[in-house]
Amino acid sequence: MNTALSEFQSESVSESVSLSGLNFDVLPPEVQRFRDTARAFAQDVVKPRVQHLDQAPAAHFDWQLVAQGHQIGLTRAAVPKEYGGAGVGMLGVAVALEEVAAVCPGTALIFGATLLGQAPILLSGDPRLQSRFLPLFSGDEPVLACNAVTEEDAGCDLIIPSLAQHAQNVTTARRDGDHYVLTGRKRFITNAKFAAFASVFANMEGSPGATGLTSFIVPLDLPGVVRGPVADKMGYRACLGSELEFHDVRVPAEYMIGSEGEGMAINMAQSNMARAAVAGISTGVARSALEQAIAWCGERVQGGQHLRHHQFTAAKLAAMTTKVDAARMLYLRAADKVDNELPPPVYEPAVAKLFADRAAIDVADAALSLIGARGYLRSYGVEKMMRDALGTRIYEGTPEVLALAITDSLYAEKEEW
Amino acid sequence: MSTFSSGEMAAEVFGRLFSVLLEDEEFVARARQEGLSVRLVHTKPDCQVFVSPQGVVVGEEAAPQTAAITLKMSCDTAHALWMGRLMVPVAIATGRLRIRGKVAKVLELVPMLRPAFDRYPDIAAASGVGA
Repeated sequence: MNTALSEFQSESVSESVSLSGLNFDVLPPEVQRFRDTARAFAQDVVKPRVQHLDQAPAAHFDWQLVAQGHQIGLTRAAVPKEYGGAGVGMLGVAVALEEVAAVCPGTALIFGATLLGQAPILLSGDPRLQSRFLPLFSGDEPVLACNAVTEEDAGCDLIIPSLAQHAQNVTTARRDGDHYVLTGRKRFITNAKFAAFASVFANMEGSPGATGLTSFIVPLDLPGVVRGPVADKMGYRACLGSELEFHDVRVPAEYMIGSEGEGMAINMAQSNMARAAVAGISTGVARSALEQAIAWCGERVQGGQHLRHHQFTAAKLAAMTTKVDAARMLYLRAADKVDNELPPPVYEPAVAKLFADRAAIDVADAALSLIGARGYLRSYGVEKMMRDALGTRIYEGTPEVLALAITDSLYAEKEEW
Repeated sequence: MSTFSSGEMAAEVFGRLFSVLLEDEEFVARARQEGLSVRLVHTKPDCQVFVSPQGVVVGEEAAPQTAAITLKMSCDTAHALWMGRLMVPVAIATGRLRIRGKVAKVLELVPMLRPAFDRYPDIAAASGVGA
């Protein structure tokens, strides 16, 4: 294990201070150190590459960048310490991803998608699965994972239980002895091009729609797995989204998570976990746009005074900073909840992601407007933030999906403790 | 109708189960090292069990109110879990098992419970609880 990671392991998560202590300025020490290291990685390693990563052909991927992120523990931030992970929980993941996303959200998503692929193994509580897959992330070489849910004809059908019966052409699984045989095709799968394994959701043959959705961990070197073409995206170009095909792939039965037909619940639990971290990514995008706008409005003189002294501009800056602060508070609360509750809560992560995604778009838009023609240039990077901000609201729950999750929570029976 | 006819019966079975765990030196050492204490809140019928390296306490009044980890589930869910008929991730994901406490600690706890899974069917049968 590398020395950088061992620094985070000197204190246990259990010793950390919960946000319920209401000290919003102080993160648990190990989380703070992890965030600081992620910030240094973002500034020193990612920043010099950002423009190239954004403007290179769609299939370009920077393994060197991933290797350096792996060195500081970004591929195993949520993996328990006993398996060589950083063990900083979702709070550590979220604050680290804010730092990376403030420079390059595409790079942040490489690590975020890996966490998502690991999530079912973490939730499984199965020591055989955990000892088979989690130590992969503590070796010298970087390893990525991915989460394969979305398909050509099924998106929300696979994450909203009431829609499952309407799903069409869903990837199927059938039991064959001590294996399951998977057939189908997934689309828009971040990291699929290089991941060592995927968390795959397939419908049990004979179950209507996606009502038999089941969760599997599938090593992507199994015969019958084909990694498809990379999508040419508007933003998030540092990470690759591609297709993943399964042609009669024989998966050992012990790689199933939970039970047959329980995949929808497991997928939702994963999403609820991950949304806090994605809200951290959105907050990073918003913060970065705000910082550019602050710098510009503090130096640009029009009408004999700096832009920041013009009242309309001041109002915009105030609204932008308020949104960034609020987004951060919401994702910190959500991450803290996720670190202290099972099943992961629905409400707080959904609220955090819904707000932070919108904040990223609004703040990037306002920054572009304030910076004017220069903001529209590729060389200034603000137009990239605008493109990236539009991507964040799509994955891991669109505003429409989040709205349903939030509203359902409002009407759900409150659990007494 | 619940598998357990009364809270006393459930408390006897689950209390015995965790007493067995505390006979495992490795478990006790690990629990001590991690500062692990678990409060099990069972419903339908109601019963509470508090487990720490110091021992097992049964009953709502006797058990301390605070624990590092609190698990809440119905007695039938607990029975299905320990019998191996309900998988932990499914119980969690579907909300049948709800947990409060450091999730990282919970995830470390689950593999340590293996001996309890092995012994539960016999313990339940000895108390007249059907499969």
